[in-house]
Amino acid sequence: MSANPATERTPKRIGRRRGVSLLLNHSVLLLLVAFALGPMVILVFNSLKTQAELGRNPLGFPESFVWQNFPDAWEIGRFSATMGNSGLLVLMTVSGVLLLGGMAAYSLAKLDLPGSGLVMLYLLVGASVPLQLFLVPLFFLWNRLGLTNSLPGLALIYIATNAPFAIFLLRSYMVQLPRDFEDAARVDGAGEFRIFTGIVAPLAWPGFLTVGLVVSLAVWNEFLLATVFLTDQKLFTVVTSYYNFTAQFSRNWALTSAGALMMIFPIIATFLLLQRRFIEGLTQGGLKG
Amino acid sequence: MSSNDTFDALSRAMARRASRRTAIKGGAALASAGVISGAALSSSSGVAAQDGANITFWFDTTGGAETAQCLIDNIVNPFNAQGGTQVEATMQPNGWTATQTALAGGAGPDIVVTPGPTYVMELAKAGQLLNLDEAAAAHGWDQTVLPWALDLGRVDGSIYSIPHEVESLVLWYNATLFDEHGWEVPNTMDELITLSQAVQDAGLIPFAHGNQEWRPANEWFVGEWLNQLAGPDLVYAALTGEAQWTDPAFVDAISKLNDMQQNGWFYGGLDRYYTGASADTASSLAYGDSAMKIEGTWFFSDAMMFFEESGQEWGWAPFPSTDGTDIFDLGIGSTYSINARTAAPEASAEFLNYWFSPEAQGIAVSVCGMGPAPVSIPEELLEGIDARQAAMINAVADASAAGNYGYTTWTFFPPKTITFLIENIERVWAGDLSVEDFLAEMQSVFDPELAAGDVPPLPARS
Amino acid sequence: MSAANPRLDLTVTHPKVRFWQTLFFRRKIVPWLFVLPILLINVSVVLGPAISSVYYSMTEWSGVGEARFIGLDNFRRLLLEDRSFRVAFRNNLLWLGIFLTLPMAMALTAASLLAPIKRGALFYRLTLFLPYVLPSVITASIWRNLMHPDRGVGAQLSEWGISGFDRAFLGDPKTVLPAIAFVDNWHWWGFLMVLFLASMQNISQDLYEAARLDGANRWQEFRDVTIPGIRPTLVFMVLMTAIWSFLTFDYVWILTQGGPAGSSEVLASLVVKNAIQRFEAGYASAIGLTMSVFVGIIISIFVLLRRRGWEI
Repeated sequence: MSANPATERTPKRIGRRRGVSLLLNHSVLLLLVAFALGPMVILVFNSLKTQAELGRNPLGFPESFVWQNFPDAWEIGRFSATMGNSGLLVLMTVSGVLLLGGMAAYSLAKLDLPGSGLVMLYLLVGASVPLQLFLVPLFFLWNRLGLTNSLPGLALIYIATNAPFAIFLLRSYMVQLPRDFEDAARVDGAGEFRIFTGIVAPLAWPGFLTVGLVVSLAVWNEFLLATVFLTDQKLFTVVTSYYNFTAQFSRNWALTSAGALMMIFPIIATFLLLQRRFIEGLTQGGLKG
Repeated sequence: MSSNDTFDALSRAMARRASRRTAIKGGAALASAGVISGAALSSSSGVAAQDGANITFWFDTTGGAETAQCLIDNIVNPFNAQGGTQVEATMQPNGWTATQTALAGGAGPDIVVTPGPTYVMELAKAGQLLNLDEAAAAHGWDQTVLPWALDLGRVDGSIYSIPHEVESLVLWYNATLFDEHGWEVPNTMDELITLSQAVQDAGLIPFAHGNQEWRPANEWFVGEWLNQLAGPDLVYAALTGEAQWTDPAFVDAISKLNDMQQNGWFYGGLDRYYTGASADTASSLAYGDSAMKIEGTWFFSDAMMFFEESGQEWGWAPFPSTDGTDIFDLGIGSTYSINARTAAPEASAEFLNYWFSPEAQGIAVSVCGMGPAPVSIPEELLEGIDARQAAMINAVADASAAGNYGYTTWTFFPPKTITFLIENIERVWAGDLSVEDFLAEMQSVFDPELAAGDVPPLPARS
Repeated sequence: MSAANPRLDLTVTHPKVRFWQTLFFRRKIVPWLFVLPILLINVSVVLGPAISSVYYSMTEWSGVGEARFIGLDNFRRLLLEDRSFRVAFRNNLLWLGIFLTLPMAMALTAASLLAPIKRGALFYRLTLFLPYVLPSVITASIWRNLMHPDRGVGAQLSEWGISGFDRAFLGDPKTVLPAIAFVDNWHWWGFLMVLFLASMQNISQDLYEAARLDGANRWQEFRDVTIPGIRPTLVFMVLMTAIWSFLTFDYVWILTQGGPAGSSEVLASLVVKNAIQRFEAGYASAIGLTMSVFVGIIISIFVLLRRRGWEI
């Protein structure tokens, strides 16, 4: 990384250096991929073993594939019932965060909000309050408002707790955007909301996708609020049923692994889907050069 | 890094003393719903229940959803099938935290389940629980529930809860291994120490202990050594303020515990003790890598499962005391109360009466493998259970009736003292704290709790 | 929002313009309309309920019953008497140190190596991010097994002749905190990388070409183009890391609950132990507030830097 710039001035050298260094890039990245994927591959292997094999062979390739672990885990975890609830929660939370958080980020990044420093300070302080500190008073309030045991009621809480991070991240994407387009639109008399939805949001598309993904994950995996605020079995989320399931089979790590994979599958599928659009968004955004 | 997604250990911590995966024994004949609903009908006839009242009941599942489901299927559902009061049982994976928050926030289920008497005391003092004196009189609970257990549910003289799942700590051992080496089951602490040395000399691990999944397992050992070595009378005296925790007998007990830990007898060293998971230690015992294990009576179903897998035999014995007297430290797994805000107090009491009936408890023990509630269950209701389990249940019941039992920390000690000893015994083991200082600090944590009346009611010793 | 500022009020020159068409409205009111909805939600969920804990921090309160006012006694006890608080605070600082360096370095390296790659970019992006998808319980369980001295990676390595890793890292007071941080970081750094990468994609290629024409090597490119280009994201994540380092809870609780012998205690685990296990919710509130104060100090430092012209 510390090549002497004086010797690398000619374009030819630069070209050769690029070719060589991409190889270096790939090898370093592949090492990191091994680090990230290794444990997950073991998780997949273990989901296909019997409990007995797991004891003898905790790290290796399965001797025989016990596919039955998956339908078993599906049944025991009652995933069919809980995935819908979690999906709804994710949908409500993400749309709330992206719309309301996006608007706030737009205001902070583009509208010279008077008192923006205070707003940001508030959001940061809000993000620094440990959940355990306000759990009981919040439950008391939500119970009074009739918002306990309700998916929208819980989604409101998730919107609030995820808002600071989302707003700051979206803002940092929006700050980077050139002002030309919006200024042109303002001259044409467009309202701010239209500029937000029509120009800035599409340009900050990768940021919105990233935030959407992060918030989805946070909601999908959330446990404490979900178990405290939803006590009706019909409203239980995927994590709740997953916990019921791990408690029951805490000794059966093979089944638990299958349950874990089942739980993360929808997230991975969504992520894959988003990744494609993520790339498309980048190229369509017209931001390159 | 993200801060608020999962809290499993928290919920475990609050819910149960140990995970108790339970093998359902399908064979027991008395599971017929007819027996049960008949009993319930007769028992509820004297009380005017609200017609068709709906009451809610959260099952904590952190210790095993299978057990909870078994209880719902075999006890709750037959109750609902008889018409009248309907119980809506929900499997709650984060039971205690959810209950505590809901109660503090002005809601919660009708039937309130807590992890032990100290929790009941806090809730009762806060006015969250219904006084059960009238219900107890109407249903004759003083006749059915064992006296020491009923007393345990008292706060300021009134009944606020009924204990569920009586448990004790015993010595589990690998009988196959003992036979192979010609080892005798130890009766006294000296014999246990000699045996442990012999086990270690044979290249094996004396005790299969680990606290990774359940850090409070520490308290089992502290409590057991205090009771068995210094004697329950002295523990009783200390709990009532007539003796000090700094008594030389306690110092000696904790020193012995520390020596055994330092010898690497608890699973081969401190680092292994701290990273030993319950499945690891259970299979270590079952496959004969370890010789013994000090664990609660709840370990029964795990013992069955792991030893069936290994094809070896297990046995149990009362934990060795100084002079060889059998001492059982009593404890309870959970308590049942009624929410002060319930709209259906009579219906809730009616359900509790049913839940603690010998018939329902017979099913809980014989079908679902639970520890029994402190009620006398006629022997015919326990037919078909494993002889070793039956012996254990009888021994614990006899000890509780005779009144010469010891005191488990989690049931009879006040909450700050419990947390203190769980956390700080590790500092003793690490060499950061002397045994004397440990006990002196414990006394200083205990004193204000005793003064504030936070020590659970102790039945008088006989 | 008091009366309109006359200098900005254009109604004087355009008598028919409605209020919502005035410059004042557009400049001062509209920006607030954009932030108000989310602020209102956040205030009612977080700030409102959290304010009551300021009161509770000055009481002796079991968490379910009546609270007794005792002034600042909880804070006195916390700062002067509570040994575990000092240990926890030190551990949070260590945690902060680890997370400001290791994952940042890994994420920046990987993102800048990945940025110029076109073929296979999706593969890297997906696989490196994947650990972040797992819930913490699952991540913790996987690593608990992988770090097991008898059947984990260390045992395998020592079979191959590489010794030293078949230790119970989570059971040794000296290694436990770095070991937990290692597990947390495994799941965390890929997320950081994706954020940096998305930000890097927004840097104009012209800047790189200009740097190249000036003869910059890769390190200089990284330092003079990439880092300034992603600075808002970078600084923001440094700030969030600082905040989250003081709130960290999950992995500590799942893997060790603060042990052995309190050697991995953090502030959040102390809050939970006090609130739930010891029935000292008032004292727990005091710890929680103290955490917020630490974070407030960090935030203030950032605000000061921002005043001095840093774009954050």
